[in-house]
Amino acid sequence: MGKILMKGNEAMGEAAIRAGCLNYFAYPITPQSEVAEYLSRRMPEVGGVFLQGESEVAVSYMLFGASACGARVFTTSSSPGISLMSEGISYIAGAQCPAVFVNIMRGGPGLGGILPSQADYFQATKGGGHGDYRLLVMAPASVQEAVEMVMLAFPLAEKYRNPVMLLGDGLIGQMMEPVEFPDHLKSEPTNKDEWATNGMDTRGSDKRNLVKTLFLNAGKLNEHNLMLKAKYDRMKREEIRYELYNIESDYKTLIVSYGTMSRVCKTAIDNMKNEGLEVGMVRPQTLFPFPENAVYEAASKESCKIVVSIEMSMGQMVEDVERCVKGKLPVKWYGKCGGDVPTPEEVVEAVKSFL
Amino acid sequence: MEIDLDGIVIIVGNYGSGKTEISINLAVNRKRAGLEVRIADLDLVNPYFRTREAKARLAELGIEVVVPPNQYMQADLPILSPVVAGMIRQPSQLTLLDTGGNGVGANVLAALGDALSGRKIHVLQVINPFRPFTETVGGCLKIRDEIERASRLSVSGIIGNANLIDETTVEDIYTGYDFVSGLSMESRLPLKFVTVAAELMPEIDIKHFTCPVLLIERQLVPPWKRSFSLASKTE
Repeated sequence: MGKILMKGNEAMGEAAIRAGCLNYFAYPITPQSEVAEYLSRRMPEVGGVFLQGESEVAVSYMLFGASACGARVFTTSSSPGISLMSEGISYIAGAQCPAVFVNIMRGGPGLGGILPSQADYFQATKGGGHGDYRLLVMAPASVQEAVEMVMLAFPLAEKYRNPVMLLGDGLIGQMMEPVEFPDHLKSEPTNKDEWATNGMDTRGSDKRNLVKTLFLNAGKLNEHNLMLKAKYDRMKREEIRYELYNIESDYKTLIVSYGTMSRVCKTAIDNMKNEGLEVGMVRPQTLFPFPENAVYEAASKESCKIVVSIEMSMGQMVEDVERCVKGKLPVKWYGKCGGDVPTPEEVVEAVKSFL
Repeated sequence: MEIDLDGIVIIVGNYGSGKTEISINLAVNRKRAGLEVRIADLDLVNPYFRTREAKARLAELGIEVVVPPNQYMQADLPILSPVVAGMIRQPSQLTLLDTGGNGVGANVLAALGDALSGRKIHVLQVINPFRPFTETVGGCLKIRDEIERASRLSVSGIIGNANLIDETTVEDIYTGYDFVSGLSMESRLPLKFVTVAAELMPEIDIKHFTCPVLLIERQLVPPWKRSFSLASKTE
């Protein structure tokens, strides 16, 4: 199959089908609604299910229930909807069920606006719901990368028996780019017999599977949390993904930026290169686990004097960047959060202002 | 071959088929040909990449863009300005209506039924065969039926808009042309024109086509790209 032109939202819906996910529960919200629109048409064609919940709270528990039964499940929403789902996400993580969440971020807080934003970084990477849980968070910068990350999200969710979140801004959902899909990879969760309540007879086992989050015994709950922590530590060892840009140059400034914001930064870096000003960039593709060593190493380059976190939020990722730079260099923040994506010119101006 | 459209032209099509980019470029094309042009952004369903984003650039060329009141410009509310019915009743030499995607986006046209009634109009369906759901003739006809039902208007022509944005090849343009020519035969709807992006034009053999070609100077671009300057080519 050749390339086709797709909106990010449509492409992520198609990618889920190609990944063998036939259970999609969602509630419409701008700027994500095209996923639901697309899948309301596509799911019946492939024998799948699209069920619109009465609210995002309900949707999160539909995911929980279906996942507990061993089905591949996913949902898409935008910022306020993800807030509503956060209770369910905590339960799904606590019960160790795999599920894939896509957040096509819009501006906040509250209703905010419908234009692109990256203001849910904390919510995604530090926990929107309660308790000691982590999401594995990936941030696509193109429609093609969104497809690849959705297809990767399902096996990762199953590998860790943990929710995986794709964090994209409104632009990723709305813009159109040519995409290519890998061959059909329809598959069932490979390890579901270890945890799914799919019937002992069905799986020919004499071990009962129990899906629960309640541990009243202090020792047991501590053990449970240690086991969850071990999974998150394993993610830090095995799942870090990032891209380096213009890193071989003798850059004075290092940018850390993700998602569509990083594409604006690339244009700005190219423009500054033409002026003789070298700027490097680390683009985290996973936000949790964060590419700690990559940022530290890039900031350790002899020529590098300053690190700037550029994000469509009022300074959230910058806290992780500061953590990774370990006080070696000054860390600055530049960003905007109303829905106007900073232009390459504004990025150039900001970078120069810090020098 | 010149694009000889005038009067009331309504641009319809499925989501992301290229309606807005075509509306803007068609407005510019006709303005450069000396026509008085007004364009209305009737996209009530999609909050991103709408005609209103090019309003200032079009205004510089003397093309009036009718959009919702300023405080609602970035809302996804179904606001239809009463000015639109007025511009249909007293049309410019070219009055362009850029609608939203699919049947749902064409719904707004039914609300303009009274104003449109009895007028000579062109309802043109934009087809990009590289988009989902319009890669087959059957798919295109299904979308057409949905649009006709929702708008209570009949599609009267086709616009071929085969492209993969930056990755479009000359071959894609010719393949797309063959596809819409076939669709035109099947549906008995005339092929009004096909589009070619400005950057591809030098490589295109214009004699390949039996219909006019609309040059696309891309206006709706993501923030890391530059749109084509329209103003520099007006004189």
